[in-house]
This record gives sequence, C-alpha cells and structure tokens, in this order.
Amino acid sequence: MSDLDSPSPADALDGASTVEVRTSASAALIPTIRAVASDLAARADFDLDAISDLRMAVDEACATLVDVAAPTSWLRCTFLVRPERIEVHAQVQTKHSEAVVSTDTFGWRVLQTLADDVTVHHDPGVDGAGPTVGIRLDKRSGDVMR
Amino acid sequence: MGELGQACPEFLDTALTRPYPETVVLAVRGEIDTLTAPAFTAATEELLTASGEVLVMDLTDVRFLASSGLAVLITAAHRAEDRGIRLRLVITNRAVRRPLEITGTAALFDLHSDPESAYGGRD
Repeated sequence: MSDLDSPSPADALDGASTVEVRTSASAALIPTIRAVASDLAARADFDLDAISDLRMAVDEACATLVDVAAPTSWLRCTFLVRPERIEVHAQVQTKHSEAVVSTDTFGWRVLQTLADDVTVHHDPGVDGAGPTVGIRLDKRSGDVMR
Repeated sequence: MGELGQACPEFLDTALTRPYPETVVLAVRGEIDTLTAPAFTAATEELLTASGEVLVMDLTDVRFLASSGLAVLITAAHRAEDRGIRLRLVITNRAVRRPLEITGTAALFDLHSDPESAYGGRD
C-alpha cells in the first residue's frame, strides 16, 4: 500500500489528531507531559478553565501511574485531539501484576472533578507482555449544560 | 540532573517574612507538584508554627498547583483554624484559583488578589 494512499499515522480513523509522548516513568518528566497537554488544549481552542483542568488532570493521572511504575520503565501518554474534546490515555508498566491504582484517594476524587470522564484499567499482561496500568480521561473544550 | 535545564526539580523557591509584628508571610514561587510537594509541606510547616495573628501564603508566583499541593493547602487551613486563624492566600492566577474553585475548597481560606490587602491587621 502506498504511503500516499493510506491515512496519515497521526490521524485516527475518526479524524482525531494523535500525539504520543513517552518518557521514563519519573516524576521529574511529568512537567513536560503537562506542558504538552496545555499546548494541545490551547491550540484546540479550549477555554482557559478547561486548559487548566486538563493540565492538572494529566498531571494527576501521570503522577498516580508513576507511583506504581516499575523502576526504569516508561510512561506513555497519548492525546487524541477531537473536535471539542481531548481524550488522554496514560499508561505505565507496573512493578508486578498486583500493583493497583487506588480510586479511594483524594487525588482520584480531584481527577474525577477535573475530567469529564475517567477510568483506570489494570492489565496483568499476557504472552510475555508485562503488567500495565492505564488511566483514560476525557475533557471537553468548554462548559456545556450538564 | 539538569538535562531539562533545571538544576534541581525538587526545589521550590520559598521565603518566610514578617512584614508586621503579628503578620507572617510565606511566599512561594514555581510549580507545586509531586516533586516539590515535600518542600512545600516543609515551608508550610514553618508558617503554621510561627507566632503571629495573621498567617499569609503568597501564591502570586505559583504557576501550577497539583492535587498534592492542594492537599497541603487544605491541611494548612485546618491547622490554622486550630489556632483560631483563618489562613489568607494571595492568588493572582488561574492555575491556583481554578483548583480551589472547582473542588469547592476556596471557602476554607481568606482569598486576596494582592499582598497588601492580605497583610492587613486582624479581621
């Protein structure tokens, strides 16, 4: 298949623009990931409060995951920029398959307040792939009637 | 350490001053997140244990507040209340104001938009 015919790898099938950031699973690199979140939200014309919320939510998700990440492993954060909302998928390899993200914490409640939707997914890993934990969150670009 | 241009990411710029005999001010500059939260906690402890009737946290130059920082603020508000003091915050940007508003915790503090109004005498 010619590269000119196939969809650009940066675009998901539904037209979302995709940005993926991968770093060492270290808290020192989270500021960079939240800077990416701010930048994408600003370019997508999010209102100022929504930009602030997304940045804080991404920070919270990444900090939560880095906390259970295996030493020397990676943190991956994928942003899907859709019309009027951004979908974020953050993931780390965990120390062991029993590593669990608690949703009974102050930080998680803040995350639920900041994002329009947030879920956590634990994957024990199969066929040699190590265990991972992911957090997915969605944020709309501005206030809508709720 | 230093590959991102910052010598020490755990560092948070803080300064404790006493502009009036009974007024103690903790000024914080930078980003309050997982890395800098311990430094923020330590600086807050100094403010909360200082003698005085007016306790102020000047967050004018704080460019980001993570949930860990918000938790420190909330705990500080309660500890100040234990001394019969309502903690005053100087807030000038959205990065600090928005988390307080959206979590409904702004009411725990006496909010000011400029330092001078915060330094004033007892309510």
